[in-house]
Amino acid sequence: MNRSIFTNPYVLIAPAFLLAAFIILWPLSQIGEISISNVNRFGQLKGFAGLENFAAVVGDPQFLAAAWRTVIWTLGIVAGTILLSVPVALVLNEDFHGRGIARIIVMLPWAVSLTMTAIVWRWALSGESGMLNSALKGLGLVDQNIQWLAAAGTAFPMQIAIGILVSIPFTTTIFLGGLSSIPDDLYEAARLEGASSWQIFFSITLPLLRPFINIAVVMNTIGVFNSFPIIWVTTQGGPANSTDILVTYLYKLGFSFGKLGEASALSLMMFALLLFFTIIYVRLAMRGERA
Amino acid sequence: MRAQLPPKPALRKGKIMSLHWLKIAAASSVAAIALASAAYAQTVRVTVAEYSSKTGPYFEKAASEFEAANPGTDIQIEVVPWDVLQQKLTTDISGGANADLAIIGTRWLIDYVSQGVAAPLDSYLTDEVKGRFIDTFLSPSVMDGKTYGLPIAASARALYYNKALFEKAGIAAPPATWDELKADAEKIKALGGDVYGYGLQGKEIETDVYWYYALWSQGGNILDADGTSGLDSEAAYKAAEIYKGLIDGGLTEPGVTSLSREDVQNLFKQGRVGMMITAPFLANQIKEEAPDLKYGVAAIPAGPNGDRGTYGVTDSIIMFENSQNKDTAWKFLDFIFTTDKRAEFDANEGFLPVNAEESKMPMFADNADLKEFAALLPDARFAPVIPGWEEIASVTSNALQKIYLGEGEIKATLDAAAKEIDGIIAANK
Repeated sequence: MNRSIFTNPYVLIAPAFLLAAFIILWPLSQIGEISISNVNRFGQLKGFAGLENFAAVVGDPQFLAAAWRTVIWTLGIVAGTILLSVPVALVLNEDFHGRGIARIIVMLPWAVSLTMTAIVWRWALSGESGMLNSALKGLGLVDQNIQWLAAAGTAFPMQIAIGILVSIPFTTTIFLGGLSSIPDDLYEAARLEGASSWQIFFSITLPLLRPFINIAVVMNTIGVFNSFPIIWVTTQGGPANSTDILVTYLYKLGFSFGKLGEASALSLMMFALLLFFTIIYVRLAMRGERA
Repeated sequence: MRAQLPPKPALRKGKIMSLHWLKIAAASSVAAIALASAAYAQTVRVTVAEYSSKTGPYFEKAASEFEAANPGTDIQIEVVPWDVLQQKLTTDISGGANADLAIIGTRWLIDYVSQGVAAPLDSYLTDEVKGRFIDTFLSPSVMDGKTYGLPIAASARALYYNKALFEKAGIAAPPATWDELKADAEKIKALGGDVYGYGLQGKEIETDVYWYYALWSQGGNILDADGTSGLDSEAAYKAAEIYKGLIDGGLTEPGVTSLSREDVQNLFKQGRVGMMITAPFLANQIKEEAPDLKYGVAAIPAGPNGDRGTYGVTDSIIMFENSQNKDTAWKFLDFIFTTDKRAEFDANEGFLPVNAEESKMPMFADNADLKEFAALLPDARFAPVIPGWEEIASVTSNALQKIYLGEGEIKATLDAAAKEIDGIIAANK
C-alpha cells in the first residue's frame, strides 16, 4: 500500500511538536547552558563552570530542608484534595434543588486568582485582626489569639489547607465529568441485586472513577509542586526559611540573591524530579488499568 | 568597562537568561518598537519604582512637562511595584531590553557598577548640579570616585510614639535609652487591653534593620573593621538580649515573626502600639488614614555609652551604559532634580529632601516630624556596599527570627550566622 508522506504520523505531529519544542525545549536548553556557566546577576554568561552550580545547590542545607518540605506539601495537598473532592463531586452529582447554585459556589474560588486568595488568607490569618481568630473566639473555641503565621508549626499546615481549598474546584470538575460517564444501568442492576450504598461506591463508582483520579493526581501534583503564591504571600518561606518549598527557595536564589547559575541548576533538578515522579506514577497507574 | 550588550536586543541570541523568557520576548519587542520610534523622536525610557499611588502620576506629569519644554523628545515611564523591581530589571538587562534610566536601591548599585551596566555620570555632573545635593545622600552613589546615580529618594528612621498612650501611662517624655524604652513599655502594658509597648518587626524585608538600631546603640557594627561580620560580638549578643527580653516580657505585640513593617505600622495607626521605629512616610499615612492619632517623633534610643544609629536609605536613579540617548536622558534627570520638582515628589511620598535648597522650604523646614529625622542624619548609617548584601541581610533576618521564636540560643545562633556571612563575603571577593 502506498502511503502519502502527508499521512505519516511523524509528519502529522511535527507542527505540534515543533511548537511544543519551541515553548519547552528551547528555554530548557537555555537554562541548561546557564546552569553550567559562571553567570552574573544580570544573566550574562562569564565562562564555563562545570557542575559547580549543582554542587553549590546540593551542598546547601536549605535545599534538603526545602526538598523534604516540598514532598510533604505536595503529598498533603494532593491527598487532601482527592479525599475531599470525591464526596463533594458525589453530592454535586446527585439531583437536588439548588444543585446549580451549589456547583457555582464550589467552582467560584477557581475564578479568583491564586495570589488574591492568598492575600485574603494572609489577612484572615493575621494574629491581631484576622477573621479566623475572631471566628474561633466568637465560637468560644479559643480565648487567646493564635499567631497563625508566626511559626512554621501553625503556618505550614494552614498553607497546606489553603492549597487543598483552592485545588478542590478543579478536581471536583474532573470527577463530575467522570461520574457522568458511569452508566446508570450499572447502579440500577446493583440495587436490584440488593447492594448497599457502600458496596456500590467501592465496587462500581470508585473503580470506574480510577482513570479520572489518576488524571487528577498527576495534574494536581504538577501544579502543586511548583505552586508559589500561597507560601510567598503568607510567609515568604519564613520565619527563618521554615516554610520554604523548592520553588520559593528557587525564587530567593534567583531574584533576591542574584545567583542565577544556582537557580538554573535548581530549576533543572526540580524539572527532572517532577518528570521522574510523574512518569513513575503514570506507569504504575497504567499498569493497574491494564490488569 | 563598557557593557557587553549589543544595541539591538531583539536580535541578540543565545546568552539570554531563560527563567522568564516569555517576558523577555515581550520586553524585547517593546524595545524593538521603542527603537523604531527613535527615528522620529529622542526616546528615553524610564523604569520607576512605585512608592505609592502618587508615583506614577508624578512621573507622567514630569514627562509631559519635559516633552513640552523639549520638542522632539519622548519620555516613556514604566511604573514597577517595588517588590518586583529587582526581578524586572534583572530580566530586562539579561534580555538587553532595559530602559535608559531606572530607579534602583542604592545597595544594589555595586552589582550594576561592577558588571558595567550603570554609566558614570561625571561627564554630565556639573558643579552646579552636584551642589544641589545634600552630601550625605549623594555619597552612597559614589563608587571608586565616580558618581553612578543620583539619590531619587532618601529616608531615615526615627522612633514614633503614641502620645495618648504615653499620657495615659503617665510617661512624660519619649525614651532616650533602651532601658527607658523597656520601662515605658512596661507602663503601657500595665494599662491593659489590646495595647502593646514596643512594636517589633519580625518578618520580611528589613527584619534585620529593625535589630540594627539596637546593635548600633550597643556600639556594634554590621561589619567589623576587618570586613568580617559583626554578628559575633558582645554588642550583637546584648542587642539580641534586649529584643528577646522585650518579647519574653510581653512588652511587644505577640507573634512578632508574623508581622512585617506594614503590619506593625497598621497596629501603630490603630493606636495599639506605644512605640515603633520607622520611616518618615508613616507620618504621611497617619495624616490620611488616622488623622486623629496623637503621635510624636523622637530620636532612636541610645545605648549605655550614648551610641545611637539610624538607618539611612537612598534609592538612586541610574543611567544605563547601553542607553542610546544619554544626552536626553541626562537632561531629563537634570529636570527632575530641580528644586521644585524634588519638593513636589518628596511632599507626595514623605521622603526626606535630598536637595539643600529644597530642605529650606517651609513645608520641610517647619515640619516638626521631619526635623527629628533630619537631626538624626549625622547618626545615619547606610547598608554596607558589598556584593551579596541581600543574602547577608537574609541570613541575619533568619538568625533573628530563630532567636525571637526561641528556637535558638542567642550566642550560638548569632555566631553561626556570622560564620555563614563570612563565607558569603569570602565567596564574593
